[in-house]
Amino acid sequence: MPILEIQGITKRYGGLTAVNNVSFSVEKGEIVAVIGPNGAGKSTLFKLISSFVPPTSGKVVYNGQTITGLPPHEVARRGVVRTFQETTTFREMTVLQNVIVAHHLRCSASGLGIYFASPKARADEVTFRDRAAKILDYLGLGGVKRLQARNLPHGHLRALGIAIALATEPKLLLLDEPFAGMNIEETDVAVEMVRGIRDRGVTVVLVEHDMSAVMRISDKIIVLNFGLKIAEGAPAEIQRNDAVIEAYLGRPDDELGH
Amino acid sequence: MDQVTDGGGQSTAGEAGGAVTRWQIISFAGLVLLLFVGVPVIFGKLPYFITVLTNAAVLSFISLGVWITFSIGRMNLAQGAFALVGGYVTAVLATRYGISFWVCLPLSGLVSAGLGALIGWPMLRLKGVYFAMTTLSLTEAIRLLALNGGDITKGATGIVSVPPPGAIRILGLTVVPPFSSANPMPYYFLASAILALGLIAVWRLSTSRLGWVFRSLRQNEDLATSIGINVARYRVTAFSLCCFMAGIGGAFFVAFQQNIYPSTYTIADSVNFLLYCFLGGLDYLFGPVVGAFLLVISFELLHAVQDYQALIYGVLMIFCMLCLPNGILSLRLRRLGERQHSKT
Amino acid sequence: MLLNGVVLAVNYALIALGITLIFSIMNILNFAHGQMFMIGGFVVYYSYGLFRLNYFASLVAVVAVLGVIGWCFETFFFRRMRKMATREENAMLLAVGTALLLENLALSFFGEKQRGVPPVVSGVFKIGDAFLPAGRLLVMVLALILIVGLLLFVQYTKLGRALRALAQDREVTYLMGVNVDRVAALGFALGAALAGLAGGLLMTVFGINSGVGTVYSIKAFIMIMIGGAGIVPGAILGAVVLGFAEAIGYALLPGSVTYLLIFVGLIVFLLFRPQGLMGKPWG
Repeated sequence: MPILEIQGITKRYGGLTAVNNVSFSVEKGEIVAVIGPNGAGKSTLFKLISSFVPPTSGKVVYNGQTITGLPPHEVARRGVVRTFQETTTFREMTVLQNVIVAHHLRCSASGLGIYFASPKARADEVTFRDRAAKILDYLGLGGVKRLQARNLPHGHLRALGIAIALATEPKLLLLDEPFAGMNIEETDVAVEMVRGIRDRGVTVVLVEHDMSAVMRISDKIIVLNFGLKIAEGAPAEIQRNDAVIEAYLGRPDDELGH
Repeated sequence: MDQVTDGGGQSTAGEAGGAVTRWQIISFAGLVLLLFVGVPVIFGKLPYFITVLTNAAVLSFISLGVWITFSIGRMNLAQGAFALVGGYVTAVLATRYGISFWVCLPLSGLVSAGLGALIGWPMLRLKGVYFAMTTLSLTEAIRLLALNGGDITKGATGIVSVPPPGAIRILGLTVVPPFSSANPMPYYFLASAILALGLIAVWRLSTSRLGWVFRSLRQNEDLATSIGINVARYRVTAFSLCCFMAGIGGAFFVAFQQNIYPSTYTIADSVNFLLYCFLGGLDYLFGPVVGAFLLVISFELLHAVQDYQALIYGVLMIFCMLCLPNGILSLRLRRLGERQHSKT
Repeated sequence: MLLNGVVLAVNYALIALGITLIFSIMNILNFAHGQMFMIGGFVVYYSYGLFRLNYFASLVAVVAVLGVIGWCFETFFFRRMRKMATREENAMLLAVGTALLLENLALSFFGEKQRGVPPVVSGVFKIGDAFLPAGRLLVMVLALILIVGLLLFVQYTKLGRALRALAQDREVTYLMGVNVDRVAALGFALGAALAGLAGGLLMTVFGINSGVGTVYSIKAFIMIMIGGAGIVPGAILGAVVLGFAEAIGYALLPGSVTYLLIFVGLIVFLLFRPQGLMGKPWG
């Protein structure tokens, strides 16, 4: 059974159809990329999967259960966690605090227990602190964990966004343009990072512009154009697909990373 | 450098949920000593000052509620409304049904909190100026409701001669003697106790994980949602806590002044609660307390200049805002920062 | 009744446009807007009522006084705050503080008495079955002229274009070589002057006292919440809705009940349409 199934999902804003009857599925342990020119509806698709916006029609099935219509925090609780396109963090906390707070779903203490610092709550916090430190070390942020998030350089911010998402122990991680604005070396590091995350047992769906990175990393690629799915397949197939080349017309070579 | 936040103020409090800075313990112990020992010894014979300080203590308690809503990133201008609700609950229950003040007090808080949850649930979806404007309207709406409340609120005449709090007896033992309007001292002690308890409660809150969750809401609600935080529930929790404190404060003032009118809390009061927080410093737990005491006391001191009291007060306040836009307590942080800097 | 609605709506539009101007340019909600309205009223009271200046000259004085106040607010208060504050709420709180400052100033200098001025023009017009005092008609016509003038100004003059650019994007406007600080100060001055003019006009009908500031601030907020904050047609629409709601309400119900209903209606309305009638969805 696939971990995620998108079934004929459509989103209209007024007269504009941002996502039009898109279906695909993701197997457990895969890295799936959603690509497409600007305005193809990639970001909207992401918000639909993570339940941040409700679809006009169609549904999202996760582990055999329909998650469409659930509030987004509930979807996160079930293990579908998104990152953000912008460098979204809790700006006025330190890097470490960001990741500690993000362990929210892993709390075993009750609300009152937390308030009165019950032994369980204290134990939780100690665990979270250790795990946050581990996640940060893993993502190469160990050296800056005491910095305020708003003072972090751009590349670190994106890693912090991923660290926050990892802290929730997701089953399915939705990465929104994880390589945007990175140079070649940074991208190489990030690509390895995403592979590492997958190797820890997390299924990854990502939206991305950087074609060469996508081609290297993905098991499967979904191509959107004007809200429609125009192609789906392994990277090699996508590179040869006429519809895809046409959608990227004008800059087929550098965009597709030949 | 200010990039590293260790070793100064709120920002380090309780990374592991529960740790408390030395500064907070010292200032809290100092405040309690001052409230319960210092003030009675120094001003015990001056009922006027005791009254002023009683006012300041409960006003800072109410502002502490507003501070909680600031911590979730909402500018709450409805605090006067919920103080009015709390006040009327106590006034009506005490005068009509003869219910003891000691029952009315928590009940007022609960009614306000309940109403706050009910109204807050949809209203907290609004952000920024929209939330501020709506809560401002709410203050005015509740006042008008009290004005048109017919027999229950007695309209513009208000509810007068509310009996002062009675004695508390446990097993025939008088634990708290009956209050009388002639002696402000018992009220003062009650006010100080309310403030101290409120501070401890909010302090626990802000250093626990709940405090961090609240702060995360202020900084980015979408991100908070994405990590599985039920944003709507936590905002309502924060807002009802705030309303609870308003209700308690409102009930106290009814007992203290023995009356309540629709105009007891107006928009000006809602605005003042906000400004106490601001002047003290939004980033500091003690902000509302410092702000409220300073403003209430300085307003009273300006009595000496009669005609220009309001004017000088207003000018002083703006001056204060412009010189210390991050609150009076930011002074302390800056000084600490310098000291650390010179050490390294 | 409906004629009163028109008179109110037109003047309220002036208030709503002023606060919209400041909001869209500075992203600051001018809490002191009602107080500026009140000061405008007092300027007319002193210059026209007491010193017997020509009414139109008094209105010019209103523009001058409020313009200076608005300019000073932006230059000395808000600009400084933007540079120093660590939290974004602080600018809004400063705006609250300025409202208190103006109110206290007014209380100290003008006292608490209700003030009125002799009518500017006398006579009554009969329109259908309804009577419209000439004073109200004058106020309405003047307000209409001002609104049209403002809209033309913002649309077609160089400064107007700079203001609109600033409302769109501060950074880009700066890069285009516009003196952002100066234009912002002028925008604030213009917004304040509009509030003052509304005060100067309406005070000939209702009179003025130091306490009305908050009332008119709330009215301004209600209007921009109905129409959508920062949107010019929204502000006008909000003014029309509020003006008629008030005129109809006052004719049929006791005064305070009218406003209670308006508030309840507003809060319910916002739950369904938090961005107002003409605002774009946000958040």
